[in-house]
Amino acid sequence: MSTLHSAMSASASALTAERSRIEVAVSNMANAESTRGVNGQPYRRRDVVLASNPVESFDDAMGRTGAVGVKVADIVEDKAPFARRYDPAHPDADAEGFVSMPNVDVPEQMVDMLSATRAYQANLTAIGLIKDLISRAMELGK
Amino acid sequence: MNDIITDRSIMSALGRQLTVAVAKQSVAASNLANLDTPNYRTRDVSFDEALNQVLPGGEKLAVTQRGHLTGQPNVASGELEDAEGLPTRRDGNNVQLDRELLHMNRAAGDFTAAQTALSAKFRLVRYAINESK
Repeated sequence: MSTLHSAMSASASALTAERSRIEVAVSNMANAESTRGVNGQPYRRRDVVLASNPVESFDDAMGRTGAVGVKVADIVEDKAPFARRYDPAHPDADAEGFVSMPNVDVPEQMVDMLSATRAYQANLTAIGLIKDLISRAMELGK
Repeated sequence: MNDIITDRSIMSALGRQLTVAVAKQSVAASNLANLDTPNYRTRDVSFDEALNQVLPGGEKLAVTQRGHLTGQPNVASGELEDAEGLPTRRDGNNVQLDRELLHMNRAAGDFTAAQTALSAKFRLVRYAINESK
């Protein structure tokens, strides 16, 4: 059964997912110059993996199609090689004077953040519309 | 008599319009939620299914005595199908933001229209109950 509430849950799950995309993009940008990550290695760009997720597991078990939300399936690290910058004075420089820099492309992160923001706004609009419908339906009882 | 007061056919048609609008709203919300999910395909409430529910026929309640109500078949959640003809992005997703927002607004309009008509209907019934006061 698709109800207004399950539609709203779907939109709400998207808000959560888009927010974690923004969080990850922001932490990538914050660490664009971090040559020492948690394991001593330079920071690796992280990426959110989204997967669609039925709102009501009951519908899913019954083989029916209801509202489909989204969830963060995983946060993965980018295995792309680090950028190498020549800076012999840097404490993390290797014998040849090169420093391994995080594989974060700041403009790319900005674009990702913009698209996540737009998706967030779209889902907020959707929630507003659904909310209007619910209060409309309430008016039937007046 | 029952039919005259409650105008059952109109009421149930309006009720179905509400249900179909909710189903469309729900599908558009699902599509919107999966705006960035790789390999997600835009879904649609199929029109044929919605039409079939409006047309007469379908299952009714069993009647053991004359005067029992048969009820109206009212299962309007609708079959879902993949929308066709939408451009697919490189990640296999084909959700179009403007299309889904348009569908949501249209469904909201349908819902509001049916709700307005239904409450007008209810107002008439209340008017009759209150002896035209």
